[in-house]
Amino acid sequence: MSTIPKRPRGTILLLEGKCIACGARCQSVCPVDAIEMNEKGEPIIDTQTCTICRKCVKECPVDAIENYLTPAEKEQMAVFETWKASAAKQVSKEPKAPKEQEQPVAKKPEEGGIADWKGVWVFVEQVNGKAHDVAWELLSKGKTLANDLGVELAAFVIGENIQHLADEAFGFGADKVYIVDHPTLKSYRTDPYVKATVDLVNHYKPEIILMGATGLGRDLAGAVATQLRTGLTADCTGLTIDKVNRLLEQTRPAFGGNIMATILTEKCRPQMASVRPHVMPKSEFIKGKKGELIIEPFTLDEADITTKVVEIISSANKGMVNITGSKILISGGRGMTSKESFKLLEELASVVGGVVSGSRSAVDNGWIEQPRQVGQTGKTVHPKLYIACGISGAIQHLVGMQDSDFIIAINKDKTAPIFSVAHLGIVGDVFEIIPALIKKIRESNAIIVQ
Amino acid sequence: MHVVVCVKMVPDTTQVSINPETNTLVRDGVPFITNPYDTNAVEEGIRFKDKYGAYVTVISMGPPSATAVLRKGLAIGADEGILLSDRVFGGADTLATSMVLAAAIVKIDKTRPVDIILCGKQTIDGDTAQVGPGIAQRMNISQLTLVNEVLSVDEVKKSIKVKRKLENYEEIVESVLPTMITVEREINTPRYPTVPGRFVAEDSVIQIWGNDVLKLNVQEIGLNGSPTKVSKIFAPVRDKGEIVMGEGEQQPKAITAIFDKLVEKSFLELK
Amino acid sequence: MTGIERIIFATIFIAAILFFLKNVFRLFAILCLGKWENRFDHLWLRLGNLIKYGFGQKRVVAKPFGINHFFIFWSFMTLTIVYVEFLIGGMFPKFNLRFLGDIPYGIILSVADVMSLVAIVAILIAVTRRTFFRKKSISANFEAYFIPSLIAILMVAYFVSNSCEASLGNLEFIKWQPVTASLAAYWNGTDPHTIHLISRSAWWIHAVVLLFFLNYLPYSKHLHILASLPNCFFKSDTLVSTVPLKQLKKGEDLGISKVVQFTWKDILDFMACTECGRCQDVCPVSQTGKVLNPKGIIHECKLNIFKNGDVIRASRPKDMLASAPLNAKMQIPLVNGSELSVDKEALWGCTTCGACMEACPVFIEHAPKIVQMRQHLVMEKSDFPHELITFFEASEQRFNPWGIAPTDRIKWAMDLKVPLLSDVKQAEYLFFTGCAGSFDSRARRSTNAFARILNQSGISWASLGNEEKCCGDSQRKLGNEYVFNKLAVDNIATFKKYGVKKIITQCPHCFNTLKNDYKQYGIELEVIHHTQLINTLIAEGKIKVKQSDDNKTVFHDSCYIGRYNRILDEPRDILKACNGHSPLEMAKNKTNSFCCGAGGGRMWMDELPGKRIYHERTLQALDTKASTIAVSCPYCMTMFEDGLKEEKNPGQVKVRDIAELVADTMIV
Repeated sequence: MSTIPKRPRGTILLLEGKCIACGARCQSVCPVDAIEMNEKGEPIIDTQTCTICRKCVKECPVDAIENYLTPAEKEQMAVFETWKASAAKQVSKEPKAPKEQEQPVAKKPEEGGIADWKGVWVFVEQVNGKAHDVAWELLSKGKTLANDLGVELAAFVIGENIQHLADEAFGFGADKVYIVDHPTLKSYRTDPYVKATVDLVNHYKPEIILMGATGLGRDLAGAVATQLRTGLTADCTGLTIDKVNRLLEQTRPAFGGNIMATILTEKCRPQMASVRPHVMPKSEFIKGKKGELIIEPFTLDEADITTKVVEIISSANKGMVNITGSKILISGGRGMTSKESFKLLEELASVVGGVVSGSRSAVDNGWIEQPRQVGQTGKTVHPKLYIACGISGAIQHLVGMQDSDFIIAINKDKTAPIFSVAHLGIVGDVFEIIPALIKKIRESNAIIVQ
Repeated sequence: MHVVVCVKMVPDTTQVSINPETNTLVRDGVPFITNPYDTNAVEEGIRFKDKYGAYVTVISMGPPSATAVLRKGLAIGADEGILLSDRVFGGADTLATSMVLAAAIVKIDKTRPVDIILCGKQTIDGDTAQVGPGIAQRMNISQLTLVNEVLSVDEVKKSIKVKRKLENYEEIVESVLPTMITVEREINTPRYPTVPGRFVAEDSVIQIWGNDVLKLNVQEIGLNGSPTKVSKIFAPVRDKGEIVMGEGEQQPKAITAIFDKLVEKSFLELK
Repeated sequence: MTGIERIIFATIFIAAILFFLKNVFRLFAILCLGKWENRFDHLWLRLGNLIKYGFGQKRVVAKPFGINHFFIFWSFMTLTIVYVEFLIGGMFPKFNLRFLGDIPYGIILSVADVMSLVAIVAILIAVTRRTFFRKKSISANFEAYFIPSLIAILMVAYFVSNSCEASLGNLEFIKWQPVTASLAAYWNGTDPHTIHLISRSAWWIHAVVLLFFLNYLPYSKHLHILASLPNCFFKSDTLVSTVPLKQLKKGEDLGISKVVQFTWKDILDFMACTECGRCQDVCPVSQTGKVLNPKGIIHECKLNIFKNGDVIRASRPKDMLASAPLNAKMQIPLVNGSELSVDKEALWGCTTCGACMEACPVFIEHAPKIVQMRQHLVMEKSDFPHELITFFEASEQRFNPWGIAPTDRIKWAMDLKVPLLSDVKQAEYLFFTGCAGSFDSRARRSTNAFARILNQSGISWASLGNEEKCCGDSQRKLGNEYVFNKLAVDNIATFKKYGVKKIITQCPHCFNTLKNDYKQYGIELEVIHHTQLINTLIAEGKIKVKQSDDNKTVFHDSCYIGRYNRILDEPRDILKACNGHSPLEMAKNKTNSFCCGAGGGRMWMDELPGKRIYHERTLQALDTKASTIAVSCPYCMTMFEDGLKEEKNPGQVKVRDIAELVADTMIV
């Protein structure tokens, strides 16, 4: 047998422009403290101290750290690889490749084997007995995940007098429904809901829990995940199953939506994810579908709860308009030409469920009041939908609204700068387009999605 | 009254862009800033000081350079800044982060009992909204997320009344203190620091607590204590802007284009 | 003159002089309360200014009624000589100036004789004007009539007394005094004793009024008689285009919140103000019905320093001529709080256009005072119009007013061949694009046009690209010296890194800031406005334009290149080269141009109640029946575009930057 070639060591280098300043993961895995972070949040690798253990190379989520080899070392590597391949062939029962030799860092001793955790669960968020649509969307998604894993899909509902929601959950694909029904759970409060959820989860051990990334859902999910000491991935836009490792691949935007990250919760259970409403499609409701209903007992003394809901204020009867908090803004500019034509915008706002705002010139001209002004000297807004009507898009205006999720611009001038930020731009006369649009929405009998 | 405000230093994500050729993040010249939501949390903390004479401590977990965001808090009136910085804290996800922050607040609480913990609703780099609830749960205190108005504080009864903003309604909630509050951006407009305030902040000594101070189990913090792991990062597919001509005969087509988008983006639902 | 008369007169005279000296000392002590500022350099230049603007009344006579003032001023100057003789003669009847020689003495007498008549006529004209043709900016209060009356009485008494003496044959030099001589005939036939009595009465009236006048001066707006000549002497030796550099250190004043934090020259400015109202007449903010009135600010500061100054002086009788202590308590606040305080809203209204300073006959420096009062509000109190918080934070964090990502700055150059200093390392000219030119889509069109001109000319130039930061003009004018300082320090470091010597700007605000403000940091840059460069390029034949036949273009002078930096002919020459005709002119042009309303940081603020400044200026431009409004500033561009949209004639009249007009007609 020939001599065993040596694996070349090379050096550990940071690749220019690839680091995303993820939060010093490389530094924290380095066993010899050879990494310092610079002002930009990028690693500075001390090659003197570095032992080329390659832990940082593996840890880096964006492959920004490289085990650099000189051309000579590359040749040597090629020799090594060839030898390794042939050696592997010769000795089929050789110990596993170095990659698998890595020690699992944290295994939670108190929770037993991961394999004990089974099933996909969806939290059914409800207010006054009415479920939020996001629950049904998640059940639809959950069905696919459950099928891929070959497990059951379950829904869990927490509240008071909410058993009727079980049938709905079955209709949207749940095989099982868990109900926690108790007077202390009437309106949502974090502590009792967390207790109810944690008790359920510890009892039945689901491997995946999906929740709506609503205000309520995020409040609960963050608390539950902490109590369960498990991973939670917020605002997922994609959920798939790695069938080999039986892992939930959770894809979500990061860095303000500039990049997408796929996140795994490898060693803890359940794997928790939240998804925003309207991200996942909702499947058809199957009437009369049945499943297993489990009513979980729950005890909690009202006196032990430190929070009380004093009053619920529905948004309809709010006096002051706060355009920064509005989901949909219908905004008018100089192209609206008069105060009267803002009534047209009011009308459009009423058919799409929005609030009217305006540009500085609309405010200067007295067509709309100052608190509704969007832009540099007004408010910075990021609604889900921004419809700019007769706004040319001076820079002062753009800086106040360009981060809106979806922008529709209607303007006569096709060179108007507003079109540079619009997702949908309509070149046309606002006084023709808007009435026609209002008519179309009314005739379609479409309803406003809350 | 003692208010602890948690702030995070984040890259200014609005300045990050993607190099279309290499599909990598362009971070050159992108500064680190105070997470914008946290600026509202600090302001709300200072308002407790203005109104109730609260002592305000700002804390942050991050690299040594994060003292800058603490100094911003000191510049507008916070009394003390503490930075939690240690290489073993690095690589933390929200669960591991809340561990360190909660431990620090518990330690702070021993010298000066803490009544209110304030956090921004979420960060602009992570957008998770999980650290605030994480701290509350670890400390076993109540949490009031998405608060857009603090209505009153009863210093005798040790309770607070706030308004929370949910999607379709608002609710007024009362809780006993101590409590953890996450704030919406609309809760206030952060004040602009005065120059004398900046001088004070520049001269302040910021304590830096590493794990030698907090003495946490290294398996529960940093990368080790983080159950989530980023497996892959890639550039998103972007919605390209679309221009539709809507004059004269083309008008119906334009109307349909808008209408279809409203339905597609779930603003409207067809019956 | 009887002995008793002489004794009575001597008593009154000595009392009056002592009282006058006491008043002058008080004024001097109040001046001393201010901070020290060196205005004793360039003495020859100052002497020249005193002659030109003080004695020559150059700025006063620039307006029609100024001639009237010129005559009153000079009649007083000459009469002073005979009044001195008169007052001494009151105590020593033998005393006169005849020892100068008969002819010189005769000339003095004849000039005094004529000038007294001139003064009467001028006073009558002045009174007629303020009664029947009064401008809004001049007040018609008690004082407005009292002082002219005193002067008239003085002159009339002089003639009465002299003509009586003449008719009594007591005037040896009567042939030198034509007015008196002709009046003397009036007394023919009157009893000599009566004449003598009238003469003595007139003499006494003259004497008492004169001494009263002397002592009334320091308490009235006629204090300017004492203060305006020194003010012309101590006037700034350069155009006042910025504020003094502030030491941003602990314990230093960060702006002005107490009137004693002004310098002695500022206080002299307050004293020199005659309330002539010329500043108010040209102020675009006052003229559009807003709270700010530059005259009002100076007047309020004057009342404020007198009130507070007297209190401070009384509190330390032994230390009369020292500066006010740093911790001096003010009886009356400087900003808001009383009638003797400046209105805060007025401070925020100012566009720092400098029209007031250009118009002031005695060179009062309004704008730096306003900016320094803003400094206190911004830096020490964080008290400013709410819309500015975004602007300040964006400037500090993202180095541009809008808060756009700094990495987007170079995007203007995407479709062009733009050399970057980071690549080429060296170039003769740095083109400092400015924030508007880099980010504003409309202004980018002129940036592109100018870059095309630069490329066509073949000169060596480069851009800083994303290394450029906002110049800090608006931040500084808004009183945020802290952020300005950061931006200036960073930009200067970048200039030094590349060894930049010559900088071209297209924005007058960048121009003025780099040229005049950055100088305070010890960097000497040759800053060139793009209109200057283009003009040279055309003149040297480095670019050629196809001349058209257009006489429908009007040119609007931007404040910061026109008034503040006297670049007046270059843009006009360029327009002439392109159009074949000199541009049309608005009534208010060149150094008297009317601001577009965007300067002084007003660009980033909401309009105040009243008419809109930009709209007013747009109407002035439209009055010329022009079809194109040529500008040389991105702010003016925005303002005219807005004004035109408001006039609902989009498209008919166009706003174009000079660079765009040149690029359009340039032969490539």
